Amino acid sequence: MKSPQHFTEKLISHFKDSATVKTINKGNLLLKEGDIETHLYYVTSGALRVFLLGEFEEMTIRFGYEGSFINSLSSFINHTPSEFYIEAIRKTTVQIIPKNKLHDIIYKDAESMQAYIALIEGLITQQIEREIDLLTMSPSERLKRVLARSPNLFQQIPLKYIASYLRMSPETLSRIRNS
Amino acid sequence: MRIEKNSLIQDLIQRTDVNITAAKNFKLLNLDKLNFKKEPKQWSILECLEHLNLYGDYYLVEIEKTMLANQKSSNPSLFKSGWLGNYFANMMLPQSNGEVKKMKSPNDKNPVHSQLGITTIERFLKQQELLKKLLHQALQKDLTKLKTPISISKWVKLRLGDTFRFVVYHNQRHIKQAERIQSCFSNA
Repeated sequence: MKSPQHFTEKLISHFKDSATVKTINKGNLLLKEGDIETHLYYVTSGALRVFLLGEFEEMTIRFGYEGSFINSLSSFINHTPSEFYIEAIRKTTVQIIPKNKLHDIIYKDAESMQAYIALIEGLITQQIEREIDLLTMSPSERLKRVLARSPNLFQQIPLKYIASYLRMSPETLSRIRNS
Repeated sequence: MRIEKNSLIQDLIQRTDVNITAAKNFKLLNLDKLNFKKEPKQWSILECLEHLNLYGDYYLVEIEKTMLANQKSSNPSLFKSGWLGNYFANMMLPQSNGEVKKMKSPNDKNPVHSQLGITTIERFLKQQELLKKLLHQALQKDLTKLKTPISISKWVKLRLGDTFRFVVYHNQRHIKQAERIQSCFSNA
C-alpha cells in the first residue's frame, strides 16, 4: 500500500502543475466565518492559523506551516458555512486547489484512493491527540505533548497564538517555558 | 427612578437592535475607512467598537455569573434604580441639550493603536446577541436585588438593572460616536 507521504508528494506535484498561487499579507483572511470552503491550500511559505471567534476571544485551533495542507475542513467536506476563520500570521503564499480538482486526483485510481484513506486516517489520529491535549489538565503537560509533535512550534508561531491553541494565558505559557 | 421591569428590558432590547443595525452597516465599509481617524488622538470606528468589546468582556461575564448564581431569584415586576447606578447610566446618555459630555477612557479600556480588523465588528455582534439573550433571561430575575461589581472597583456593586442600563447606554454612546465618523465619508 502506498503511504500518505507518497500521496502528499503526488498531490504537491499536481499542485505545481495546476494550482493557482495566492499571497496573503499578515493579518489578512483567507476565509471567514460563514463562507463555504471550496478549496484546499498548500502553504509554500509563511504561516496561517485557523481560529474560532467567540464573544470574548479568538480561539486558535490549528496552524498551517510551510509545507502543510490546510483549510476549513468541516465546511470543505460538508459544504456548510465555515465556523472558522483562516488568517495569515505573516506574509504567506499558498497554492490553491479546488475541491473538484482534488476529487479528480483522488478517484483516478485505486492507488490514489488508498493513499487518500491513509491520509484521512492520519488526520483522525491527529484529532484524537488534540482531544487528549485539551483534556489534559496540567498546562505544562499540555505544552510537552504539543512540542513532542511540533518541536519547531516556537520558531514558526508567535507566543500569543500558541497560548490560545494551548488554552492558557500568554503569561502562563511564558512562565512554563522559562521554568 | 422606578420603572416596570418588562418595559425597561424591552427598551434595552430595542436600543440594542438599533446598535446591531449600525454595526452591520459598518461592515459595508472598507478597512481604510474603518481605521480612519480625524485626529491621531481620536478613535476610529473599529476603536470605538473594540472599546465596547473590552467592556463587554467584563460586564457580560459578570452579568451571567450573577444570574447563574441566583437561579431562584424572586421575580418582582418593578425595578428601582440605585442612586449611583442611575448616575452612571445617565452619564452615558446625551445631555438634555443633545450634547455629549466628553470623558476619558481608563487605560485598560482604551484600544487606541491596537491592530484591529473586521473580526472586531463580528465580535461586537456576537456580544450583542449574548446581551439580548441575557436581557431575555433577566425578565425572570430581580433586577433590584441582584448586583454585579463594577469594572473599576470590585467593592462597588450596581443593581443588575442599572448594570444593564449602563452597558446598553454606553454601547449606544460609542455607536453614535462611530456613526459621526461614518458620516464624514458620505459628505465627502
